[in-house]
Amino acid sequence: MSVIRVQRPKMSRSWYLPGILSGMGLTFSTMIKNLFNQKKMATLNYPEEKYQYSARFKGNHVLTVKEDGDIRCTACMLCATACPADCITIVASEDEDPSVEKYPINYEIDMLRCVFCGYCEEACPVDAIRMGPEWQTPGENGDNFVYDIKHLAYRANLNDGKGVPSVVEDKDRHKLGI
Amino acid sequence: MLKCTINGKEVEVKEGTSIIEAFREHSEDIAHYCWHPGLSVAGVCRLCMVEIEGNPRLQIACNTPVTDGMVVTNQSEMVKDAVKWGLDFHLINHPLDCPICDQAGECGLQDQYMKFGQYDSEMGQAKVKKKKVVDLGEKIVLDTERCILCSRCVRFTEEVSKTNELGIFNRGDHSEIGTYAGKPLNNDYAVNTVDICPVGALTSKDFRFRQRVWFLKDKPSVCTGCSTGCSVDVYYNKEGMWRVKPRHSEVNGYWMCDEGREIYKSTNVMTTDFVGERGSAKAVKKENRLTQAIHINAGDKNYKTATESLNSLKEKLDSYSKAALVVTGQYTSEEYDALLGFWKSQFGTDNVYHWANNEAQFNDFDGLLIRGDKNPNTKGLLQALEKHGITAKKDVTSLSDQDLVVVAGPENQWVYDDIHVIAKALASNKKVIWMSACHVDAAEQAGGHFHFIPTKTFAEKSGTFVNFDGREQSFEAVDLFVDQALSLTEAVALLKGESVELSETNKVISVSNEFVHERGQL
Repeated sequence: MSVIRVQRPKMSRSWYLPGILSGMGLTFSTMIKNLFNQKKMATLNYPEEKYQYSARFKGNHVLTVKEDGDIRCTACMLCATACPADCITIVASEDEDPSVEKYPINYEIDMLRCVFCGYCEEACPVDAIRMGPEWQTPGENGDNFVYDIKHLAYRANLNDGKGVPSVVEDKDRHKLGI
Repeated sequence: MLKCTINGKEVEVKEGTSIIEAFREHSEDIAHYCWHPGLSVAGVCRLCMVEIEGNPRLQIACNTPVTDGMVVTNQSEMVKDAVKWGLDFHLINHPLDCPICDQAGECGLQDQYMKFGQYDSEMGQAKVKKKKVVDLGEKIVLDTERCILCSRCVRFTEEVSKTNELGIFNRGDHSEIGTYAGKPLNNDYAVNTVDICPVGALTSKDFRFRQRVWFLKDKPSVCTGCSTGCSVDVYYNKEGMWRVKPRHSEVNGYWMCDEGREIYKSTNVMTTDFVGERGSAKAVKKENRLTQAIHINAGDKNYKTATESLNSLKEKLDSYSKAALVVTGQYTSEEYDALLGFWKSQFGTDNVYHWANNEAQFNDFDGLLIRGDKNPNTKGLLQALEKHGITAKKDVTSLSDQDLVVVAGPENQWVYDDIHVIAKALASNKKVIWMSACHVDAAEQAGGHFHFIPTKTFAEKSGTFVNFDGREQSFEAVDLFVDQALSLTEAVALLKGESVELSETNKVISVSNEFVHERGQL
């Protein structure tokens, strides 16, 4: 049996009180700062308080509709092609209106696969899919995260029950130079 | 042989070859829309421009024969400029329909635009509006706006199908493709016009909006529709098979019939209802493909996998004193060899029946491709019977009081008009093993002891078909579309007690929803 001699650090280095005290100092100084200047506090009381993200935030998808409520999507499947997560499933069909010709009868996004890269809205030639402001969407099982066409197109639950402005008309887009 | 120089490459071509043929023979790219190797030369698209040394003007390659010592190029700036402006003229009235156009992805205009165009249109006027979504009968939809008037389809109906339905009507920028007095385009070869259309003006109703073409892979195969055995490409993806297109060969030239385009439907599990859950042994197709398991007797819920069933049959084989074999001409030569060889050693050669569905019409021929014998391998079956010294009987309906009848049933059931008669006749036997790719409603209705065993379709096995004039055509398996289907060779191996490795399919069943039944309606 051999004996290993362990080199213990010197007393001055192993003494922990200075570290503790400097840490406590930071905590107390921050607490006092926050007590007298609550508006600049970096944290918020989630879920009572919610952070307002910018309009460009890329949250859950919204399918835009025309003024008459019809879906804008033409089922060209460019979003499904561009999607790196392979989470978009579209079933296309023939529209009775020959000027529309093709429309989706099913449009599903598997939110658990989605990586929120935004390539789908980038790829869309008709501005039919946008990334919306919604991001906190809990669910009980996997099925809750496969959003179908009705859920994606008509989002009344968003924006305190007012829905999101998902109506997009061609003339408005042309005005904006899109 | 003529010597000429193509894009700086010295080549030899046969006399009478046009420049475009010489380009294609020596795999040089050349832009073209109206020229098709199977049709006459029209020279209307003006896109296959080439520069010939010593000739001050550009010439079209499709209508200029090669002469000795000719120096041709299509790489010069002058040619590229000409093609670019030619393309601009084609696109003047062409709508920007690519997102909803089925041709996108295999479109001549898209390809040439990316190669030669890439400009902003200099056309000031608005595009001429024409009729969209014109119903041209049972198979085809026409979009006159997208048409670039290459006249390929018109020449096809004139020269190949010789039915003359299509024509170009009106003049100038109002010219459009159409049929006289709204008559339908319903000839037996009509969907070929969709294949040769370089843009999306003609689309097939069967394939319309089902898939984007860039989601599909293709593999060569042989058509099982009739004894002609056309060379085809089958297009498939992870959800199943979607369409069949002709592949150029000596057998069929550039064409195939519309009937043959239906063969992919026996492969898919897509359009049908399910009993039970797929993935468990209880999944059985109700209408179309048999998958995974078999069930015994109509309405019996005791499911067994094909392997289990054949293993239990194997143990009892010796106890059957009276046994008969019924074969159809829808399997490969290799399968016949295995099955007949096994049958001969087990039961002798007496009781083998050749179930020929419509023998009276076997020699019918429409002059182009369609033959009366709707089995791809009747010749192969006859060869295999001869090889094993078996004289097959024809009268299947006379089969009765047998202990065991094994049926190698048809894969394309819709060409077997007598399937109900045969099923009813076989129901009087003690035990019937019916091997088939598709579900056999007729057998279920007939009652009796039918045991179904799912077999592989032409797309799932490799093998050889011998066509009407004895040409042996080998083909490879495309993909596996259902689980646990067996080829006859594998079934025989199981009966012999050999182990067979069955791979599982990677196909997914697309999400079902209540709207799916609306698909494909116009």
